[in-house]
Amino acid sequence: MDVEAKRIMALSISKLYSLRTQRGGLRLHRSLLLSMTMRAARDIYHTAQLLRDAEEEQVVPCAPDAAPEEPMEISKDSPQSLTPKEVAMKPQEPKETLEEDKENRCASERHSRKRSVKTALETDSLPLKKAKMETDEEKQHLQGEVFRTNNGNSCRQAETLTAFPTNRTIVAC
Amino acid sequence: MLGAGGGGNDVHWCFSQVKGAIDDDVAEADIISTVEFNHSGELLATGDKGGRVVIFQQETENKSQSQWRSEYNVYSTFQSHEPEFDYLKSLEIEEKINKIRWLPQKNAAQFLLSTNDKTIKLWKISERDKRPEGYNLKEEDGRYRDAATITTLRVPVFRPMDLMVEASPRRVFANAHTYHINSISVNSDNETYLSADDLRINLWHLEITDRSFNIVDIKPANMEELTEVITAAEFHPHQCNTFVYSSSKGTIRLCDMRASALCDKHSKLFEEPEDPSNRSFFSEIISSISDVKFSHNGRYMMTRDYLSVKIWDLNMENRPVETYQVHEYLRSKLCSLYENDCIFDKFECCWNGNDSVVMTGSYNNFFRMLDRSQRRDVTLEASRESCKPRQVLKPRRVCAGGKRKKDEISVDSLDFNKKILHTAWHPQENIIAVATTNNLYIFQEKVN
Repeated sequence: MDVEAKRIMALSISKLYSLRTQRGGLRLHRSLLLSMTMRAARDIYHTAQLLRDAEEEQVVPCAPDAAPEEPMEISKDSPQSLTPKEVAMKPQEPKETLEEDKENRCASERHSRKRSVKTALETDSLPLKKAKMETDEEKQHLQGEVFRTNNGNSCRQAETLTAFPTNRTIVAC
Repeated sequence: MLGAGGGGNDVHWCFSQVKGAIDDDVAEADIISTVEFNHSGELLATGDKGGRVVIFQQETENKSQSQWRSEYNVYSTFQSHEPEFDYLKSLEIEEKINKIRWLPQKNAAQFLLSTNDKTIKLWKISERDKRPEGYNLKEEDGRYRDAATITTLRVPVFRPMDLMVEASPRRVFANAHTYHINSISVNSDNETYLSADDLRINLWHLEITDRSFNIVDIKPANMEELTEVITAAEFHPHQCNTFVYSSSKGTIRLCDMRASALCDKHSKLFEEPEDPSNRSFFSEIISSISDVKFSHNGRYMMTRDYLSVKIWDLNMENRPVETYQVHEYLRSKLCSLYENDCIFDKFECCWNGNDSVVMTGSYNNFFRMLDRSQRRDVTLEASRESCKPRQVLKPRRVCAGGKRKKDEISVDSLDFNKKILHTAWHPQENIIAVATTNNLYIFQEKVN
């Protein structure tokens, strides 16, 4: 079941990305349906993962290696902090690009949202430990990228495309 | 006129005509995106992805030949919309015609509204069969005559000429939609019309292009809280204060413009509780309504979602009065249909003239006739193999699983690239127009 969920999740993400390059602009209806499906699949996948990790915990209660412990640590947190954050961030990913009136936006706000969304995506598809370590690196990377492509015209949608290193996410899935 | 009575199964449908290129290599611009008969049924308009509108006209002669109704021939072709570029948002605006709606005829000219994602245009289609000849100062080709040669005075007179059909844009209704327009609907008052995009519905006056009233706005303050979008909207056929709009969550809201200026609060909410046994990853997607149409008598409305057609009584909100499965055999294939994007296809539906039969499209160039009065349904196919003049269409059957009977086609053999999304039924007669990817098929009732 969770294999299917993971596949649908990966499929949804790749479809969401390909939507951005489609002629005629971002389709709100399609993006909404894709992100809902992705969220449903992601919830199932995470639930299955939590169950699996809980089982592992019982099987290996005091493993010396930090690696298995860290995911457990994070997974313990996830119901409280990560999942709600993800829930907030995930819809932002398509929504952010959907947001077409600019009156509520400022450049810094956009940058910070992009950073967090990227973190959420990374946490999803990569082993959690790696995601944690990479977070700070990524923030700098993103900031640098955005700064480079932003010619003072923060309203241009094209920028969001460059800010997301899409290959990383898809390969991980 | 044979009248539009008789159920879908009493009627035997025959091939009449097919319009469009024969070759399998379909140019994207030729993909038909909308089909609509006018109010008398004499004219049939199609819009395509390339922004063109083609209007066919039913010939009025040959009524004496048995009772075979005459053919539709090209009447006018024009470029309605061109591709545009929104420089502010760096977005290309497609020229694809999303919808065409005819205005009721008031004088010799015909009027229709056509829309792409952002702009609605009012087109006037008029005939010219006379031209003035015999100008005093000009030759027939327009060159001015030498003044010295003019010795008499003459008055130009109108003389007959070959019929010319002209299409001219009379109004352009632009810049009112942030999101993509999915519907337009002319009000029964013949003065106003609505246009709907994913989040808003605007009310226009046909004469006024520089402003419109926003009557529905479902955009949340925080876009992250967005859970549903508007998928279709239509005015009631007789009550000029009433309209409905459908949503991606499978609900339909009926609004009364007399209640308030902004109709965010609905008068009625039509929703059927979901069957929990059918729940899957794709439940959200398949419950999204792709089309909503009032019956001609104004008592019912029909909705189309991915797998079914539902008929609602306007007086009953909690469930539809009739539900028809269009292609239930696809329910087990939803994952594959998600992969190839077919699950997002937006099928339309239509009523016959007396509201006794409804029609909708499916895959493999199949379309379905659902007879309400006789509770029977039939699946027919629009294909080049059944193109002999007046050839009767044979009912088709899909084998869902198990042993395939003779003449049945198995689900796995269906061609999902051949989809019938747009169909139209003549308002009075049993003549239907069915659009495949780039061809328009016209079928008529068999007469003995």
